[in-house]
Amino acid sequence: MKQILRITIGLIISCLAAGTIMGSAYVFTAKAKKHNEHQKEQDTMLGLLGYGKGKPAPSALKLQSIYRYVIDEKGSKYLGYMFPVKKGNDSGYGLLVITLEGKFHAFHELKITAEQALDAGEREKALAAVLKGTFVYSDETVAASMDGKRVAYLLPGHFQGFKTFIKVMLAVDPSYDILGLEIMEHEEDPGLGGDIVQDFFKNQFKNKSYQKLKQLEVVKEPLPEEYRKALEVKKGAMSQEELQRIRAKYQDSDIYALTGATISSKAVTDGVKGMVKRFAYRVEVLERVVQSQKIPAAF
Amino acid sequence: MAHTKKSNSQLFFNGLLSENPIFRLALSMCPAVGISTSVMNGILLGVAVLFVQVFSSCTISAIKNYIHPRIRIPTYTLTIATWVTVIDLVLAAYVPAAYKEMGIFVKLIVAFAIITMRLEMFAAKNPLIPSFWDAVGMGFGFLFGMVTLGAIREILGSGTFLGFDLVGEKPLLFFILPAAGFFVVGFMMAIYNYMDLVFKRMKEKKG
Repeated sequence: MKQILRITIGLIISCLAAGTIMGSAYVFTAKAKKHNEHQKEQDTMLGLLGYGKGKPAPSALKLQSIYRYVIDEKGSKYLGYMFPVKKGNDSGYGLLVITLEGKFHAFHELKITAEQALDAGEREKALAAVLKGTFVYSDETVAASMDGKRVAYLLPGHFQGFKTFIKVMLAVDPSYDILGLEIMEHEEDPGLGGDIVQDFFKNQFKNKSYQKLKQLEVVKEPLPEEYRKALEVKKGAMSQEELQRIRAKYQDSDIYALTGATISSKAVTDGVKGMVKRFAYRVEVLERVVQSQKIPAAF
Repeated sequence: MAHTKKSNSQLFFNGLLSENPIFRLALSMCPAVGISTSVMNGILLGVAVLFVQVFSSCTISAIKNYIHPRIRIPTYTLTIATWVTVIDLVLAAYVPAAYKEMGIFVKLIVAFAIITMRLEMFAAKNPLIPSFWDAVGMGFGFLFGMVTLGAIREILGSGTFLGFDLVGEKPLLFFILPAAGFFVVGFMMAIYNYMDLVFKRMKEKKG
């Protein structure tokens, strides 16, 4: 009996001590960690738009998030778009609810500040205040505009890879041509499918037009040497004209599969294709409703 | 309690050579086979293990007199888990560049046999200073093993070293696949065993 008590108390004390250490480490680091994650996402976005070290983003560049929710009200489903709106001189957030067929359903103004909108919990609180039904978060789109003119959309997303999901960030211009692709997280086989993060693979998507993208295929042919050099952007390795010539030559080529990783190559190609196609449809519906209802959208 | 009679430098080289965790003790084979596909992976996992091993060994060695012998294994696991979590959080918060590369490896370490084994065999029976050196030796031994495996597999499989192109093509794709991990580990064990034999013979001749 005494033994059992000693063991129990010993375990309780060690668990408490371990819990306290881990908990305090979390308390001290949580804010910095969240900040880093947000920073990483921002850096990736700016990188895709062509800004980075040595070329800082101009202050006129504005990145604004549009959050999409699937809303269930009395058994019927709606899509809810939460985005910044103009409210006199201030800017606030609004929620536009549209039916699955793309018809206007309702518009709510939300009581939330731009700072709070970054936090998923705060967003849900604000939405719960105006919505009667249940809602599920679906995805986020970032609209980049410069001096009131739309320059690009940034699409964070994920799709099925060889083993598990591949998380990516995609940049498209207002006519849905691809500006760039960045792989955020993946668990493909190192040395094989893992090469999807290499410049010579992911940069093949760069500058593909929307028309071409719709019928983009994966070809199992070796990557031409000059194309590989042009894709691996190394400074001074190639003159500007040479680069232009090669880019133009391969503008409409299909995606060259990675050696030994056809499934990963195909997964990324199909994933990107699907993401852009779905996005193009959704954003057109959204813009139409915003314009026909004269909603003071600020994105 | 049987205290070790080895000096600190002997403890260090013990982990690196005669009791190398991967090639002599055959522990933590899962990461040795699964992750050692490139030198960089080997270095990152090796460094992560080194830190966790040193922190855990020192902790256990410091509190060994208060651990009830019946619950020592749960206590070891708890200690390792605590240090892994703390290192993971601190890296993510203050060294995001390193975390980006090392993040997935750090989380894997909780289940590593080598760390629990060193706590049970050494840290729980010895004072703080020898435990520290034993942990450093074991950590570097693991790092050395991972880098060796990574180098062999990266050069033969991808034709690169630390990402720099050496051959310009993939000579033997087989070496990147998991099966080749066993193959290379087996080969390295044979070399270690042979070296052991040679040293023993040399000693016998002298004696």
